[in-house]
Amino acid sequence: MPMQPYLIVALILFCIGLFGALTKRNTIIVLICIELMLNAVNLNLIAFSKYGANANISGQVFSLFTITVAAAEVAVGMAILIALYRNKRNVNIDKMNTLKD
Amino acid sequence: MDLDTLLSFNWGIMAPEFTILIVGVLLTVIDLFGPTSVKKNIPKLGLVGVILAFILLVPQYGHDQVSILHDTYLFTPFAYYFKFILLIGAMLIFLMILSNESNKEITDRSEYIYLLLSALLGAMMMASSGDLITLFVGLELLSLSSYIMVGLRKKSLRANEGAMKYVINGSIATAFTLFGMSYIYGVSGSTNLVDISREMSASLGTAEPVATIGFIMMFIGLSFKISTVPFHMWTPDVYEGASTPVTAFLSVISKTAGFVIIMNIFFTIFTGNGEANTSLYDSMLLFIAVLAILSMLVGNLIALRQRNMKRMLAYSSIGHAGYMLIPLTSISQLSVENVWFYLFAYSFMTIGAFMVIYLLEQQKKSEDISIFTGLYQTSPVLAVCMTIFLISLAGIPGTAGFIGKFNIFVGAILAEPSLYILAAVMALGTIISYLYYFNILVQMFIRPPQLEGKVSVRVAESIPLIACVAGTIILGIFPFLALNFFQ
Repeated sequence: MPMQPYLIVALILFCIGLFGALTKRNTIIVLICIELMLNAVNLNLIAFSKYGANANISGQVFSLFTITVAAAEVAVGMAILIALYRNKRNVNIDKMNTLKD
Repeated sequence: MDLDTLLSFNWGIMAPEFTILIVGVLLTVIDLFGPTSVKKNIPKLGLVGVILAFILLVPQYGHDQVSILHDTYLFTPFAYYFKFILLIGAMLIFLMILSNESNKEITDRSEYIYLLLSALLGAMMMASSGDLITLFVGLELLSLSSYIMVGLRKKSLRANEGAMKYVINGSIATAFTLFGMSYIYGVSGSTNLVDISREMSASLGTAEPVATIGFIMMFIGLSFKISTVPFHMWTPDVYEGASTPVTAFLSVISKTAGFVIIMNIFFTIFTGNGEANTSLYDSMLLFIAVLAILSMLVGNLIALRQRNMKRMLAYSSIGHAGYMLIPLTSISQLSVENVWFYLFAYSFMTIGAFMVIYLLEQQKKSEDISIFTGLYQTSPVLAVCMTIFLISLAGIPGTAGFIGKFNIFVGAILAEPSLYILAAVMALGTIISYLYYFNILVQMFIRPPQLEGKVSVRVAESIPLIACVAGTIILGIFPFLALNFFQ
């Protein structure tokens, strides 16, 4: 079954991305890690659409939508980060502690 | 696909969505190129657009099911009822925005309006879509618009920080949802919910664990939107950072949309073609039940020690999400009805409470609970309104919140098998919530005011208050008006 390596790579990518997103201090790295998670999804979708039990084109269509939306999401994230940087002069996540209980 | 097939669809049924889309695009263009005299009226034009969409939606009551473009758009009674709540909630939030004519903190006021419209469009697409791809696009339309709305007070550090936290948490949630969706697509070979349902009703064999992981990951991703414990961490920070109308929006429309997409996906897949694949859903039930118990307890307990009003309502909204998860542990028409009624009641009382906070926050420049001190002496009307919203949130008889809680409670006991533990925790959560709701009542009625002077309520500010009070009381005394409407 040629599908499994693709799925395993995707799973590893997803886990690396999740680990990075939860542990890294720099917000830019966190955003990159989130991209990694979304790309793991694309890999999954394309592997399923090529080698899946009933292979069809909709997985590839789905991955196109995912890529587009991920780009928009990072654009919004960066815009907000720039606004934050203007006020705070810092992009580290552990410094974002104005709001807390 | 040729033009004839394209024209053969019943596009008229999409009229509410098209209205929102066209008004949103028009307002964007006006904001860029229009004269200043027109620009001032953009919030009013937005409200007109939402009212128009509502007027177009109402006559679709009882319409047959319509499918456009291979179920990417699906008109069902389910979609109709939830779009009804979404549009009413949006109207109330527009009234809330209109009540404050000069907002110094938000300079780009019209951006707010068309972002709200695009978020509303995303939520409506989530209600009436039968395909994972369009559901995902609708979800992201809502999420991206709300990220920007939270961060719209560019000069405020708290708004920036809340928005950043929201973007990071929301993107991770999106990645989870998508990862789950990709496994479900892999197992079923389709993105259409009805096709997935057909594939899932047969025995899956070795693919069954993959499908279970897919569904659980999708549920985790979507439960960020409805902010249940343990995926609630962003809620208080984002609610505090956002300006109050946006907070009301997140608390009502975003949460409604979260429940809509969860019920749309799970109920279509598991009951789609008559025979439910119970073994798959059963493997998720325990998970949902644990989330519900945790949300009810954690949300209400942490709310006890909050002094910031928006944080307190954020934690209380986590508790309410827990109550609304209880019906999802059993799939039936009754559970959809219970969630629908609760969300309907919840939108009136929450928007009302946020409206009172918004008024006091502008006059006293604070969000601390002390803004309520002696409110009964400075403004009896406002104090009475807030009392109605609070006793409704607490679930005292005579208000909409009571009927909603009562239905869910009875539904949990009548379910097969009875969910006694969930019902008991719900009662416990409600009792805990009395403490912090009644603390505000004590502040309003018993403590003397710190400063002399009346709190005035202008006409524009009284309209959303009157609407919310009317909704809360009418649904509380005549719940059958709404329950008969939901057949």
